[in-house]
Amino acid sequence: MFNGLSLDQAPPISVVLRFFITLPLFGLSVSALMIFFPSEILTANHPISLASIHLLFLGMISMGMIGALFQMQSVLGGAPIPSPLGNSIIIHTLLTAGIFALASAFMFQVPTLFIIAAVLLGSAIVYFAQILLPLLLRKMAHNTLQGMRFAIVSLLITAILGIVMATSYANETFGDSHALLRASHYSIGLIGWVAALIIYVAFQVVEMFYVTTPYSDWCKHNVKRLLAASLSLKILWLFAALPFVWVFDGVIIMVLIGFSTTTMKRLRSRKRRVSDVSIWFWILGIGLLMIALLSHLGSMLNIYPLLEPMSLIAFALFSLSIILGMMGKIIPFLVWFHLNSAGYMETPIMSNVIPQKRLKMTFWLFCSMALTALIAPFYPLILIVSGLCGVMLFSVVLFNLTNAAKLYRSILVNGTKFTFEP
Amino acid sequence: MILLDVRELDHPLPLEMTIDAFKKLSNSDVLRLIHRREPIPLFEILAKNGGFYLSQEISDGVWHITITRDPHLDLELYRV
Repeated sequence: MFNGLSLDQAPPISVVLRFFITLPLFGLSVSALMIFFPSEILTANHPISLASIHLLFLGMISMGMIGALFQMQSVLGGAPIPSPLGNSIIIHTLLTAGIFALASAFMFQVPTLFIIAAVLLGSAIVYFAQILLPLLLRKMAHNTLQGMRFAIVSLLITAILGIVMATSYANETFGDSHALLRASHYSIGLIGWVAALIIYVAFQVVEMFYVTTPYSDWCKHNVKRLLAASLSLKILWLFAALPFVWVFDGVIIMVLIGFSTTTMKRLRSRKRRVSDVSIWFWILGIGLLMIALLSHLGSMLNIYPLLEPMSLIAFALFSLSIILGMMGKIIPFLVWFHLNSAGYMETPIMSNVIPQKRLKMTFWLFCSMALTALIAPFYPLILIVSGLCGVMLFSVVLFNLTNAAKLYRSILVNGTKFTFEP
Repeated sequence: MILLDVRELDHPLPLEMTIDAFKKLSNSDVLRLIHRREPIPLFEILAKNGGFYLSQEISDGVWHITITRDPHLDLELYRV
């Protein structure tokens, strides 16, 4: 009767919290850069733009996703990560230090920092992958586990390409293949790592959390295959300088449009239309993904040059929307679950761990940040407003997470255990 | 027997309602939970807090979980 889900050896709550609490700190850093350097951030390949992109995709998006994977591997995989506490401390420390080093390397153009960043980030990601991949290879019946494996392999390749490029930045010599490496780095990172993981998490959680009709088996089996084939062929075509590379981008866009429409359909036709902030984040996230895809399509057709930065901003916001929505769901669950497992009477209901009022506040602040960031390519100074919204948003997120951690700690220290009636 | 049908409820209500009912369960009571999937997290909480359960998949998307605090109760008698 085992269905592949197990919380029997769930990692301690601090394992996941460590990654989640770091996310808003990087969010505050990016917001500060948006306030002080709006034009530079919107200038392609500007050092501050590159620093912001890496703070965003590594410090926020990857930090949240790696934290969630620590939990998901144990829950879905049935094979827990060995020594989760120690391993999470090693990975988190290397990752955090590496992200700071990389952002500083870009901002201050210090060659040695590129090498330090490459070593730290490379170590964090290789170490993470060598722990998770053998566990995911052991038991592969579950589609989400297969999707997770594909995403982690993509993260590993993205990191290797990043290390190669970091050495170019450190030597300040860029070979002929730099542009190709860069295109491969961001294609695999954005699609193979970020989008694929979110899609396969959606396949698992949307129907489970929101009582929707299940995704079709065809989708679950073939999305990863289509993405893997399109990405591999795109890179092959790029390096071989073959024509019609856009065909592979077209296939990826079609897959993601298919995912967006099918997810939106399920969320809108769910059986019980209960108001839940995490659903708002999912719906907004899917909407942002559609904007990212359509603006990317527009830029491929050379309709308007500013559609390309808008596409990247919308894609980042899509990922953040899903991550923030899921964090608002995962953290109360983990606090509730660990306290109930330990038998504490005072365990609050999940909706009291992070009050709905504050979750709604994060949603509306995120909407304000997203709206202003989306129009920033056309009016760069509005990025200052977006940054201010970001400061408020990530301050509230940090407050929510630290309060949840304090509540957990307080009940653990002062709580009383269940008393059983005879 | 106390019956709790949570099939139509969004996460996390099924888990919260079941644990709430379990906390109030006396030794002689039996709780029958009807769920749309097998609630694995529930089992860990029950196992760690003196609960015993029998989980059965009745049909596709219908699970019956019979829960008690009585270690001597033969849950097989409650098999559907």
